[in-house]
Amino acid sequence: MSESSMKRHMGLRASRTLGNTLIYILLITISAIWLIPFFCIVLQSFRVESTWQVGYVMPKVWGLDNYRKLFSSDFTRWYTNTFIISVFTALFQTVIVLCMSYTLSRFRFKMRKPLMRFMLILGFFPGMLTMIILYRVLKDLGLTQANAVPGLILVYIASSGMGYYVSKGFFDTIPKSLDEAARVDGATRFQVLKKIILPLSKPIVIYTVLTAFMGPWGDYVFARYISFGASAGMNVAVGLYNWLTPDQINNNYTMFCAGGVLVAIPVTLLFLFLQKYYVEGVTGGAVKG
Amino acid sequence: MKKFLAIVLAAVMALSMVSFASASSLAGEYEIKVWVADAIVDLTEAQIKRFNETNEDGITFKATIEKMGEGDAASNMVQDVEAGADIYCFAQDQLSRLLTAKALAKLGTKAAEFVTANYDADSAKSVTVDGTMYAYPLTADNGYFMYYDKSVIPDEDVDSLEKLIEDCEKAGKYFSFDLKNVWYSAGFFFGDAGCTSTWVMDADGNAKGVVDNFNSDKGLIALKGMKKLLDSDCWNSSSEVSAFESNSAIVVSGTWGSSTAKQILGDNLGVADLPSYDIDGTAYHIGSFFGFKLMGIKPQEDPVKNAALNKLAQFLTGKECSLERHASNGWGPANLEAQADEAVLNDPILAAVYAQKAYGQVQLAISGAWWNIGNVIADEAKDATDEEGLKQVLVNYENKINESLKLDANALLFVGAWNGWNNADEADTYYFKDGALTLDVPESDYMGGRIVKPADWGTDKGFAQVTTGAELIKDLGADNPDNNIVFAEPGNYTVTWDGTAITIVKN
Amino acid sequence: MAQLSDLEYLKLSKGRRLGYKVGRFFAKIPQATLNAFQRIGGALKSGVTAIGREAKDIVTTFVNGDWKTKLSYLVMGFGCLARGQILRGLLFLLFEIVFIGYMILSGAYWLSMMPSLGKVGPTETYDEIYDAYVHTYNDNSFQILLYSVLTIFFIIAFIYTWRVNIRQNKEAERILAAGKRLKSSKEDLHSMVDESFHKTLLSLPLTGIIIFTVLPLIFMILVAFTNYDGAHDGYISNLFHWVGLDNFNTLFSWKSASGTQSYAATFGEILSWTLMWAFFATFTNYFLGMFVAMAINKKGIKGKKLWRTILVMTIAIPQFISLLYVSKMFAKDGIVNGALMSLGWIDKALPFWEDATWARVSVILINIWIGIPYLMLMATGILMNIPADLYESARIDGANPWQQYTKITLPYMLFITGPYLLTSFIGNINNFNVIFLLTGGAPTNPAASSASGSVGYTDLLITWLFKISTGAESKYYLASVIGIMVFVVVSIIALIVYNLLPSIKNEEDFQ
Repeated sequence: MSESSMKRHMGLRASRTLGNTLIYILLITISAIWLIPFFCIVLQSFRVESTWQVGYVMPKVWGLDNYRKLFSSDFTRWYTNTFIISVFTALFQTVIVLCMSYTLSRFRFKMRKPLMRFMLILGFFPGMLTMIILYRVLKDLGLTQANAVPGLILVYIASSGMGYYVSKGFFDTIPKSLDEAARVDGATRFQVLKKIILPLSKPIVIYTVLTAFMGPWGDYVFARYISFGASAGMNVAVGLYNWLTPDQINNNYTMFCAGGVLVAIPVTLLFLFLQKYYVEGVTGGAVKG
Repeated sequence: MKKFLAIVLAAVMALSMVSFASASSLAGEYEIKVWVADAIVDLTEAQIKRFNETNEDGITFKATIEKMGEGDAASNMVQDVEAGADIYCFAQDQLSRLLTAKALAKLGTKAAEFVTANYDADSAKSVTVDGTMYAYPLTADNGYFMYYDKSVIPDEDVDSLEKLIEDCEKAGKYFSFDLKNVWYSAGFFFGDAGCTSTWVMDADGNAKGVVDNFNSDKGLIALKGMKKLLDSDCWNSSSEVSAFESNSAIVVSGTWGSSTAKQILGDNLGVADLPSYDIDGTAYHIGSFFGFKLMGIKPQEDPVKNAALNKLAQFLTGKECSLERHASNGWGPANLEAQADEAVLNDPILAAVYAQKAYGQVQLAISGAWWNIGNVIADEAKDATDEEGLKQVLVNYENKINESLKLDANALLFVGAWNGWNNADEADTYYFKDGALTLDVPESDYMGGRIVKPADWGTDKGFAQVTTGAELIKDLGADNPDNNIVFAEPGNYTVTWDGTAITIVKN
Repeated sequence: MAQLSDLEYLKLSKGRRLGYKVGRFFAKIPQATLNAFQRIGGALKSGVTAIGREAKDIVTTFVNGDWKTKLSYLVMGFGCLARGQILRGLLFLLFEIVFIGYMILSGAYWLSMMPSLGKVGPTETYDEIYDAYVHTYNDNSFQILLYSVLTIFFIIAFIYTWRVNIRQNKEAERILAAGKRLKSSKEDLHSMVDESFHKTLLSLPLTGIIIFTVLPLIFMILVAFTNYDGAHDGYISNLFHWVGLDNFNTLFSWKSASGTQSYAATFGEILSWTLMWAFFATFTNYFLGMFVAMAINKKGIKGKKLWRTILVMTIAIPQFISLLYVSKMFAKDGIVNGALMSLGWIDKALPFWEDATWARVSVILINIWIGIPYLMLMATGILMNIPADLYESARIDGANPWQQYTKITLPYMLFITGPYLLTSFIGNINNFNVIFLLTGGAPTNPAASSASGSVGYTDLLITWLFKISTGAESKYYLASVIGIMVFVVVSIIALIVYNLLPSIKNEEDFQ
């Protein structure tokens, strides 16, 4: 190695180390900014000395009072409701989305393009517009207020077919020659799906389950509209949000934070363990809007 | 023979109905939904249970009680009246919205007499719209006053807005006063500044007119006073007493914050009526709204259930239950007997509420639009740079009120004179929009009225033009020398205006 | 701007090339818009001819068909039954019976009420015995509108099925004439998992979409032509009625009574901020997310999984919790201002939510906090897919990191995520949660706020729509008009982009 190239090499290494240090600094800063709100919420949930909003972060007295109170309140009900909604939604939504996206990716039929275009255009309407009418439809079915849980499941899964884009993108990346080979061997379409495509689709299935499971935990506006005025039919978002109304906030604010922490736990855990599939699913799929 | 039978049958039926009514006919079991605030859910449950055990009519309620803040009840009822609560508590400012949605059952004649006899006179007025009562007064404490931190604010400064601002700025503390909400900011206009905003509503919750003089010299004084606080660095638009924890030294709020305020400040907690501001050497005391919380009943298809619910509402807003709520939550009762109770009379927080009431305007039914119109006053005034800017704020305010009354340029107004027409509270006005109008003319000394067309609806608002003397419509016909319409006898009339002449037909 | 040949283009300086590209983009917009309209026109035209063709076919099938076919015009499925296709025939027949039954029992009633939306409103009478007001509720405009739309859907479905029934008769005649055998019921069932498998797969999702998305949307579009609001809820308060285009006139008239700001002006203000927000929210997230992904993916950076997990926490915690907290953090008396003041960096609270510009910048910045993790995850995957030898050869050619980014990474990302950018732009136009939870629209825009509701400087069309439909007057009809306008705006944007971006159009190229 000549002297000059040696120098150049060392210079490169030095600049790379410098660059990496800068990146570390950046990442640490970003992480701090990203985590501050969560730390604050967690800390608030352990505050015992007062139950309202305060201007400081560190609790003066630590304790589990808020969690204890949480379990004697309606929160357990709301949590169960949300969990049930999430499980069913995840289950059915996955089936529906996969049916839809698989069909649109693999079959070529006359109405395919118009159908896709139609659904694209449907998506241009703000969904909130349909809230009032969905409420009335569910009311006619007896699925509002205290019975809101099945009603919410029904609505969440009914329209989920429109969210086929990501998984269709994923299916598009699976070579078609696989299907064709199987078809030549005499497999029906159903067998192709079952034996060949599904085993290859683990990431997208997990991605779909994960996103479908997460959705109901954060839905406030629609869930409030459906379950209005009946604690028995509320999900966590609606129930917790009510604790922030003027007549309750001073008594329940720290409980709200504790509730938030408990809501975040299952979703965070799922994400921790399934992150890899999420990335694979989203990159296999999202690239094709 | 047939005729005879029919008469006999009718007589039997009438008799049976009379006997049915005179017996304790309300007996039975009713399933009802109840909405009350979080703080009194358990108490109300116990009270309903006691009602079931003690009432003499044999009424049993199977009640489902849900938490619903008085501020949210209306928006929830309006979403779907059918699925809403049968009996619910709400803050008075929601009344017109509930009327619009037909979510309140009118009180019957006897029930209205009961309210007049047993509740605070102002509160009885506050449930009355267009001569009909719509709810039972629950509390008479919905006003606001000042909580302050004695360690920052010396007691001798609490009378002066300027001194309070100075104290807060010096200490680097906030003065929390939720002026972005007109419920609070209207206080500046109501106190010594002497403005009023009195709405006249109809049974559908529509505004018929308003007497409102915010856009005046008095209003400008009020706005200048408000501007002092808006422009100071210490102003914080909040009414949460928890703001004491985040650097506030003063919070303007109501009785609902008292227990939290006590816990935060302990012995340093001071309570006082609102201060005065100084404009050109004169001190103007800040006023406030004095409002009520009410208990309403949803319209029912079954009169028996309605009557039973009235009994329950009378019980829940009665002496005993009101005192229980005062003892547990500090709510000031509207019931007269409860108001006379020692415990209520000696309550220092309620004393501050009533001290402030002297400068307050009793809150009656208000157009829902007014809240939206008024909420922007503070924001707009903060942006104003000079007196002209402040005047413009008031002009804009008035323009929006006119627009909300939907006074279109060609519309006319009929002003009935039977109650006297120099006073907006007395005159009966009818909005005359599509060319025809039906009206009931009562028996009175002068069964006449005028059709008026103000020169410019932009400055005259419904009733207000009655007092400002708008131009009368000319050419009402030869037999109307005073340009007035005179009705020959009481009754129901249809008045038609085709653009040039008036036709009156008795129905 | 005229199109340049490759040679001419290469002669330009760097700056000019960029200018040329940007210029071309905008120069193409009119053409793209025109193309879009032409395409719509073409679709309409082919639709009309298709209907003509169908009608002709229906007539000729009847004229040429045998008696079984002819009777099928009246009794659906008769042909199938007569030719031995029992399952199909029964299904057709059953559908016809259900349809006729429904129409007689209730469909006809709903349709007859549709023009008036109800005749008898609620009444109230005083009952002296009980000292109570008795209410009766009669026609229900809401239900009438809903069920008449449903009935029309049903009729369309019936006509379609009837048409299929005729086509199958013709098809069956042809097959039999050729001496072949018709499919048995068993074969019909089998085809559901084979050649007609796509129909089986799509039936459930599409039914859901039609009932819970299409039907409500049509209903809400119709509401824009009525006076449905809090005072006319159609049942309890008052009936509602058709009002023609009145509501569109309200939204689009620049005139306003009494010198207050008109709806049209307010709509314009909110629309321009909505587009501004969507632009910044989309692109700040996009580029910063990509940047963070590149930083984490850089060779030699340790703890890749840890960094990702930290960022992903924002996805995992529901927004209604985190955003409400963040909103409070930045309040005038919140902990951010408190901390800055106690550090002595500022002596007066920063007006994060009080000043229009501050609030708008703040929501965009906080939105980055929410959006970066999604972008980071996606970009991570895509970046890993870029062939490493591209970078290797670039490095050999002496390209610096910036050049590598602009020549390889960015074009690759843009090409692949073009469609994603469009959907995320549209998503941001309708990004209700961030605005609703962070500011609720604050600070108030006094001029735009009217008697029917307050409007803030950070309000998007979608939050405005929400405020109008849940506000004091519950003006559902106006919310519906705004919803339609949102649709129009989004469609225009989508059409333009669709015609400009190749990677959306050529979906097959991509596989």
